Amino acid sequence: MKMQDLFLLAFSNLRRRKIRTLLTVLGVVIGTASIVVMVSLGLGMSESLLRSFQSSGSLTKINITNYGGMGTNAKNKVELTDESIQSFESIPHVIGTSPSLEVYVTAKVGALQGDFSLRGVSQAYFQQMKLKEGTYPKKGDAELSLIYGNTVAGSFHKGNNWDKEYSIDPMKDTLFYIFPEAQDNSKPGTAQTQGEQNKPQKKYIIKTSGVMEGSAEDYSEDSSYVYADLDSLKAFLKKIYKKNLVPDPKTGKNGKPLRYYSYDQAYVFVDDMNNVAAVQKQITDMGYSCYSQVEWLKQAQEQIKTTQLVLGGIGAVSLLVAAIGIMNTMMMSIFERTKEIGVMKVLGCDMGDIRNMFLTESALIGILGGIVGIVLSYGVSFIINFLSSGGGEMVDSYTGGGGGNISTIPLWLAGFAIIFAMLVGMLSGYFPSVRAMKLSPLAAIRNE
Amino acid sequence: MEPIISVRNLKKVFKIGDNDVPALNGLDFDIYQGEFIAIVGTSGSGKSTCLNMLAGLEKPSEGEIHIVGEAIEKMSESELVSFRRNHVGFIFQSYNLIPFLNAVENVALPLMFRGVDKEERNKEALHYLELMNIAKEAEHTPNQMSGGQQQRVGIARALVINPEIIFADEPTGNLDSHTTEEVLSLMRKIVEEQKKTLIMVTHDPHIASWSDRQLRIVDGRIVETVLREGSAIEEEILANNGKRPYTVVHPLKNEVKNDERE
Repeated sequence: MKMQDLFLLAFSNLRRRKIRTLLTVLGVVIGTASIVVMVSLGLGMSESLLRSFQSSGSLTKINITNYGGMGTNAKNKVELTDESIQSFESIPHVIGTSPSLEVYVTAKVGALQGDFSLRGVSQAYFQQMKLKEGTYPKKGDAELSLIYGNTVAGSFHKGNNWDKEYSIDPMKDTLFYIFPEAQDNSKPGTAQTQGEQNKPQKKYIIKTSGVMEGSAEDYSEDSSYVYADLDSLKAFLKKIYKKNLVPDPKTGKNGKPLRYYSYDQAYVFVDDMNNVAAVQKQITDMGYSCYSQVEWLKQAQEQIKTTQLVLGGIGAVSLLVAAIGIMNTMMMSIFERTKEIGVMKVLGCDMGDIRNMFLTESALIGILGGIVGIVLSYGVSFIINFLSSGGGEMVDSYTGGGGGNISTIPLWLAGFAIIFAMLVGMLSGYFPSVRAMKLSPLAAIRNE
Repeated sequence: MEPIISVRNLKKVFKIGDNDVPALNGLDFDIYQGEFIAIVGTSGSGKSTCLNMLAGLEKPSEGEIHIVGEAIEKMSESELVSFRRNHVGFIFQSYNLIPFLNAVENVALPLMFRGVDKEERNKEALHYLELMNIAKEAEHTPNQMSGGQQQRVGIARALVINPEIIFADEPTGNLDSHTTEEVLSLMRKIVEEQKKTLIMVTHDPHIASWSDRQLRIVDGRIVETVLREGSAIEEEILANNGKRPYTVVHPLKNEVKNDERE
């Protein structure tokens, strides 16, 4: 028997019992829609999670920390130096590295004062950064210039009154920088005297190069720092601190300040977030302690996965009910058509064709329900998103400020849902259709 | 001449509860190509059971049935279905047309089961509807037709696959006497013109008398075989084989024709 004839017969049979078909399809519609909407909520959740992670920091960045520096008994202890950081670049998938030379500074604009860290970073770091305005400092610029994190400008305060914050515009205002006093730990006892404290601090005017993208409220991992090119900053600090290089140098075994740079933090940039874990493991194996956003993301995603399973399960229950509905409809239909099936068998309709005819019917119910269910799901999803975007802050706080839709139905989900509904239809129609296939042709002869 | 159907020692026992109820007690007969056979008997005589087994709808308890050289009692159900699809047409008492298909589609149904293209099978179906003189009802669905018209569609459906054998189970049982005459003469005409073998079951001796040869069954045995005078095919068989078709008859002991009391 030809496929098109099977479809024709199945279709006319469904049309014969319009109301019953409609009700059965309705069951599948509700089942499909509930699964799809539930899954779409899960997907929306994990997407907004991803977005909120992305907005709070790069997902391809690994932070390496080495606080405490070299202990006295630290034979195996590793150190973050220019050389060791350079060596990370040989790890596969690493596309760039940057040390973080951090100096705590005070900036003054008129009566306003800001306290924050100034970080010297490499060009690789700047490449990951997005600017709202201005340009990146060039490598080794003779004149030091700064990129401001997007939340820095809004965190100035008046004198020692920290309660109220004021905003400045680093692109227009002139900022006077005060660098901390040199602390030479190698000569204990020669701590700063009172007199030195009173001596007027030297102020430096440092040019502004640009401001990072993002509003003043968008806090992220690197929004509250000011950045400078590493080489320019090194040169600048050398002028102030001479041989000590930095205001608070680490000391070597002999108790003397190191004559090279030993960083507290460094960054490694990876080509893809999927490779972060592997690179991170290699760096950890080398003896460094490091962390990345991806780690936290993975954990959060695990939790979301559990939520998704629960949501999907709730949806699956209603599809199960729909499947039972299909089975019931098919059983009824076969019971009513016992004689007809008998006639077909007497007329030489293959057993397999009879089975396929009923399977096609139940598959059609499934497909029809799936398609209408998907349309319904898009509608429900739209309404959810519409209501939630009106809900504003509450939803934002729930999704971690990632914004966007809380229910998303990607195309693959729609396609999968229709195929799944069809399979559910065929599966629940299988038992009835095998039963139809095995009915006796004698039913055709009996006269009632 | 070789028989197209050959039945030997055919027995059927139904189990009802713990009791064995015999329906057929051993039938032996041959049927030749082109014969119009009537199996006659009262209800409960076993005539319908006999037909069902010839058509492969029921398994015999014992005995052999050879149709066009094949032992159908040994076939599986799906083999029987394909056997019927290729060799057998069937006419039902209650017509059994598919209610949501029109006359042409109903007639074309067995061809659809064979996988014939829609255009081709509808053309063929229309041809047989014309032969049955109801081509003008071709687009009507069964509930728009009278019983006689429906049965003509039913006959067309049995003929459309050009089968060697046609089985008819009380084909006129639901028709009035005038329509019965029409349908029977139509059936006999087809059999004679196309040299089909038609095996009809009926309880009515008058209807049975339309056939070339009657097999009368009482209590699961053939008790009498009656030839119609002037039947061309029977003369042909006699001329070819030198004898009448093989039939084992168990005459009733008291030859009272009491089977006519219905």
